[in-house]
Amino acid sequence: MNRLIQAIDRFGRSILWYVEEMGRISLFFISALSWLVRSPLKVRLVFKQMEFVGVKSIFVVVLTGTFTGMVMSLQGYYGFRLFSAESLVGSTVALGMTRELGPVLTALMVTARAGSAMAAELGTMKVTEQIDALYVMAANPIRHLIVPRVVASIAMVPALTIVSDFMGIMGGYFVGVKLLKINEGIFLKNIYKLVGLDDIYNGLIKAACFGLILSLVGCYKGFTTYGGAEGVGRATTEAVVIASISILISDYFLTALMF
Amino acid sequence: MRSISTEAKVGLFILIALIILGYMSFQVGEYGFGLKKGYIVTAVFDNVTGLERDAAVQIAGVEVGKVEKISLVDGKALVELRILPNVQVEKDATISIKTHGILGDKYVDIVPGETKGSYIAERGQFQNVEKQADIDKLLVELGNIAEDIRVVTGALRKVVGGDAGESNLSAIITNVKELTANLNSVVKANDRKFTVLVDNLTSASKQMEQTFASLSEITGKVNQGEGTLGQLVTNKGVFEKLDNTLASIQTITEKINTGEGTLGQLVTNKGVFEKMDNTLASIQTITDKINAGQGTIGKLVNDEETVTNLNSSLKSIDKSMVGINRFVSKADQFRTFLGYRGEYFFEKSDGKSYIDVTIQPKEDKFYILGLVSDPRGRRKTYDRITDGVTVRTEEWDRNGLLFNAQIGKRFNDLLLRGGLLESTGGFGVDFFAMRDNLKLTFEAFDFDLDRDPHMKVFGEYQILKHLYLTAGWDDFLNRDNDSLFAGFAIRFEDEDLKYLLTSAPIPK
Repeated sequence: MNRLIQAIDRFGRSILWYVEEMGRISLFFISALSWLVRSPLKVRLVFKQMEFVGVKSIFVVVLTGTFTGMVMSLQGYYGFRLFSAESLVGSTVALGMTRELGPVLTALMVTARAGSAMAAELGTMKVTEQIDALYVMAANPIRHLIVPRVVASIAMVPALTIVSDFMGIMGGYFVGVKLLKINEGIFLKNIYKLVGLDDIYNGLIKAACFGLILSLVGCYKGFTTYGGAEGVGRATTEAVVIASISILISDYFLTALMF
Repeated sequence: MRSISTEAKVGLFILIALIILGYMSFQVGEYGFGLKKGYIVTAVFDNVTGLERDAAVQIAGVEVGKVEKISLVDGKALVELRILPNVQVEKDATISIKTHGILGDKYVDIVPGETKGSYIAERGQFQNVEKQADIDKLLVELGNIAEDIRVVTGALRKVVGGDAGESNLSAIITNVKELTANLNSVVKANDRKFTVLVDNLTSASKQMEQTFASLSEITGKVNQGEGTLGQLVTNKGVFEKLDNTLASIQTITEKINTGEGTLGQLVTNKGVFEKMDNTLASIQTITDKINAGQGTIGKLVNDEETVTNLNSSLKSIDKSMVGINRFVSKADQFRTFLGYRGEYFFEKSDGKSYIDVTIQPKEDKFYILGLVSDPRGRRKTYDRITDGVTVRTEEWDRNGLLFNAQIGKRFNDLLLRGGLLESTGGFGVDFFAMRDNLKLTFEAFDFDLDRDPHMKVFGEYQILKHLYLTAGWDDFLNRDNDSLFAGFAIRFEDEDLKYLLTSAPIPK
């Protein structure tokens, strides 16, 4: 009996914890938002974060985008060949990249690269009480640390997604037309025909949402780090895991909402 | 040099991303931006199932516009089409909805009209709308047809059905059967006659044709008054002469009738007539004899043996044709392969070469002839008796080539072969795998009571059409002679050799 009560207790606690966590992240988001509105942006800091989140992720994103497009082309070819519709490979790759894989893969790569770094950086500052020092110096840490990161992420993830989309389609084109000898004209024609502007723009809207999610989670996890070096490690891991899962889950709802 | 500033890096990246986005948008939006070009025409359809907005509008398979809007007007579908400005559609053009592609996309097809010069204007409407084949309607029609057929078959059943109908039918069939049998026998019995008849008819008709041709020539000439007859017909004087001539002929025949003159006697005299009768009788006898098979001609015509001889000679010709056929098809089956195989022995740092000809008369039968140049040569043992002690010496005879001569048969993936292997008795087993790309071979030869036989295992893998890689373990039973080896083989089918072999005389 006692054990049963304990189990229920534990279950309730964890539910409560999740709810609290949701609330805390939301509050965090609101305060970041309010600081974004309340005071002018620290342009210099934003650019620095943009360079870190965006420019330095280009290589990774180009690689993942290109190879994703290539492998989609290859797999699509084997599937479509069964009913002689190889000409649809190009549009499948293009649609897949612009709608889903471009935004999601880019967001995941940026999470792994920059989101984790945000959590680790802010976590270290937190455990070494630098953030408290900022408060003492009357410099609001949310304004100086969080807002530039969130703004930079929201701006840069869509930009990276554009690159990823393009490279993915290029990779698909290379495999489909150059290696598998699908007719080039039909390949491109079907891309132009079946891919619409909506597909690209909705993908970019998604990417912006993912940028918000990953930066928010990264910063929040860093900002709430406790427990020394071990805590920093834990915060980093949690940031990546939670951000990745949130991105994938929200992807479904965003897709359902938009398309 | 000062390093590039953060702003420059970010700015450059954003710029590149925007350029790519712009490029992609323009490519994809090729139709999007130019969407509002062109003019609108409308058409009213009974049913536009499956047709969607932005579906293609085609003339002769060329896309000339898109479906702009589909709306319901008076229970019918009003389809608005946006046609490219440089395309004009005749007023009597026909419009219809069709399906294309594996996805079954619907599109609007326009067949241009006949009257050039009068075109559908902006917001004009198509008059000729082709009805779409409505599957449901079609099914109803089919049902009606089936009902009709059922009525017909019912009536038929009434006529034919029942015992009376059945017996009638069977009687009819019996009659027909008898009739055809009779007909058959008649035709068979008179086969030769019919042939002759037809031949005669053919030649007769040919002659007739010639006759008619000359006749028409003659009458033509006659008409023109050419020649005697022509003059006869056309000239009055001649006609009179003819009249006279005929009159004299009449006199002559009268004289003959009365028995005057030689001819008259010939005709009126009974003796002459009897002689003629006798002559005809003897001719009759001769032909009777021929018919009865008497004399040489008779025999030739009537003897059964002649027919038999003829028959048998035809049969032998037939037989020889079969033989020729078999030979030709053998040549087709016959395949010969030339092969070279080189092996390099790691533990001896030495090579070994094989050249062989594989003759494959049937799919599963092989003759393998080959030469092996083994730098080790052959192992020879000598027993020398010196001072009552037998000393056995082994030598490797490095000279001379070794021979392969084997016969093989293949069972599915297994090829068993035996015969001479490297000039000694032996056998080999080949196992084929991966659609014959991989061959695993075991060979055993050089059997001797005093020592282990030479055994060899190796695999051969086809990497190119004619090129094989090979590796294995040679003579693994003899510790002092064993060696791993690797090498390659070239094998190809030789058509020339095949014809050489099959066209050479083969004793049976």
